[in-house]
Amino acid sequence: MNEQQQLISETLNRLLTDLCTPEVVDGSESGAFAENLWQVLTETGLTAAGLGVDAGGSGGDLEDSLLVIREAAKFAAPVPLAEHFIAGLLLSEQGQSIESGPVTVASGKFVIADDLSLTGSADGVAFARWCAQVVLVAEGTDGLKLCRVPASDFEIVQKNSVAGEPRDAISVNSKVSAESVFSVDSQVPERIRLMGAALRALMISGALESVLEMTVQYSTERLQFGRPISKFQAIQQQIAILAGEVAACQMASHFVVDSFSTLCEMDIAMGKARIGEAVSICTDIAHQVHGAMGYTLEHSLNHRTRRLWSWREEYGNEREWQKLVGRHFAAQGADKLWDSMTAL
Amino acid sequence: MFQGLKFEPFKLPDEAESIRQEVREFLARELDPGTLPNSDFNAGESAEFSRKLGAQGWIGMTWPKKYGGLDKSFLERYVVTEELLAAGAPVGCHWIADRQSGPLMLKFGTEEQKQRFLPKIVSGDYFFSIGMSEPDSGSDLASIRTSATKTDGGWLLNGSKIWTSYAHTNHYMVTLVRTEPPSENRHAGMSQLVVDLSDKNVTVTGIRNLSGEEDFNQVFFDDVFIPDDMLVGTPGNGWEQVMSELGYERSGPERFLSAFRVIVEFAREIESNPTDEQLVLLGRLASHLVTLRRMSISVAGMLGDGKVPLTEAALIKDLGNSYERMVPEIVRLAVSGDCSPRFVDTLNECILHAPSFTLRGGTREVLKGVIARGLGLR
Repeated sequence: MNEQQQLISETLNRLLTDLCTPEVVDGSESGAFAENLWQVLTETGLTAAGLGVDAGGSGGDLEDSLLVIREAAKFAAPVPLAEHFIAGLLLSEQGQSIESGPVTVASGKFVIADDLSLTGSADGVAFARWCAQVVLVAEGTDGLKLCRVPASDFEIVQKNSVAGEPRDAISVNSKVSAESVFSVDSQVPERIRLMGAALRALMISGALESVLEMTVQYSTERLQFGRPISKFQAIQQQIAILAGEVAACQMASHFVVDSFSTLCEMDIAMGKARIGEAVSICTDIAHQVHGAMGYTLEHSLNHRTRRLWSWREEYGNEREWQKLVGRHFAAQGADKLWDSMTAL
Repeated sequence: MFQGLKFEPFKLPDEAESIRQEVREFLARELDPGTLPNSDFNAGESAEFSRKLGAQGWIGMTWPKKYGGLDKSFLERYVVTEELLAAGAPVGCHWIADRQSGPLMLKFGTEEQKQRFLPKIVSGDYFFSIGMSEPDSGSDLASIRTSATKTDGGWLLNGSKIWTSYAHTNHYMVTLVRTEPPSENRHAGMSQLVVDLSDKNVTVTGIRNLSGEEDFNQVFFDDVFIPDDMLVGTPGNGWEQVMSELGYERSGPERFLSAFRVIVEFAREIESNPTDEQLVLLGRLASHLVTLRRMSISVAGMLGDGKVPLTEAALIKDLGNSYERMVPEIVRLAVSGDCSPRFVDTLNECILHAPSFTLRGGTREVLKGVIARGLGLR
């Protein structure tokens, strides 16, 4: 972490400790957007930390935004930081600047006619109901178009992930303004998918760190048979496994961060695959150590674990990315397996 | 407050990458394509191969030139080691001398000891074993009873060590013994002695492992005279000396590559027409392996900087060993019944050796205890 990132991390942690309380996370699930949290994050420049000033951002490095997104996941922050960042990047490539939003990204099937009438739908759109705009890719008659559309143009059917986060179904049939439509190359949908997978991998890794921290903390505080349960070998060994998985995710996420600017497919694929796989082991152990207490809606462990179960499925689960990785190595052939691993 | 573990990404320097090609060319020349390679460091040995490796300068390569070394970096050695293992080279003879005995002498030995032993290790002429476990002392190493009592000009050694790989063919054994009776501080009063395995009062008895091989042993000492100059380091400081090596011992590529040849043969087996399930599995195994390797290189970087990341090293060994144990068990179910003999032999050899992966160099239970301590639970 450089000095700038150290500063971001400290500021963010202070803000989130105050503003992203378990009550705020619960409130979001009950239907109240964490307006104040989003506003403060926007005012402090953290929602667009890694976007250029021309793009409506704070002028930092890409890594700054990745850091914000990963750190915020430790607090289960119920705001679309990841989607807003992807939208901001896509718009900035068109010389556009992102508004305070929030702005979300929709991956679905959209068609735009020459008269700029846009039709289509998408499922699982993060936070659509609370966003000001939706950025999406539509098929035009002469290639793909990136469209920035007011959220009010959509019919939104509210749906939630297993974490209680908005993952709405949206559909549209309206005209869009010419200055909100940009011709893009055919790679953009795949790039959105890679960015999404990378950010979810980072979010999972962040949330897992928080789960480890909570589990260590709880085990040293919870007394049974006259001593903290952390003193029992059975518990220690379980938490050691949890720590191993979290450490592996930490390493994988470093490489996801390093490959984000080039969107290196293999590093992101291996990152999402490896980090996603840790979820099952880690949530199993964390809940076991927390006992019945951690199984309640009241305990904030579920703010993390339910998000983990949701995020691992999004932008391709382990299976999809493992298959891509497997295909890459299979194509090298058995005797080139090691060479191709060390070449990464 | 809980402090997380630290694994920072580390890139192998260019000089380490350039040595990789040299090692590959050497291995292409030296490894007989007719034999089945095995990436488990403990499952193949060839004195001839070790001497050829020594002639390349790749044993003790980080040691000073005056002792026959090449003054190379720890990271260059890392690359040589991982290339040897991945190719399934027979590294058993020189393994302990290169990884442990030599570095121990460099750190704690006398000038005379360094001059006497290190050049011969480098040339592949002296092979070392390591004497730690005893029949009644495994994970509880501090409970060892083999002892040396002071006598004129040296020590008289009595007792026994067990599970000592290649003691029947190696030349020397660095042996942890009690030189003082046990006291309240159970880690005090131990020393490390170099035992000449050809001594007439040393008896080496082979023990067959479950695959029928006889590569480990029980070694008996019956009034073995050890001259004063064969004690390494400070009398009574043996425990600290042993512990200081653990970062190197536990975080290397040998802790996650033991089953690598199974993955290679699996890839060969599915080469012509892989199913989706097989690709998924290959991708899963590769994602784990690449991540483990990066963690291991991260610790190698820390070790190269003179840090001692004991918890991180224990964590790599534990995670890596679990992976090595998992590989053959899931690969065997991912192929159809009609497999090549080469695949079946590789798989079976791995399955037969797998129980040792999570025992040698610290059991998984001991390692998890070390990790738990690092997390502040103990």
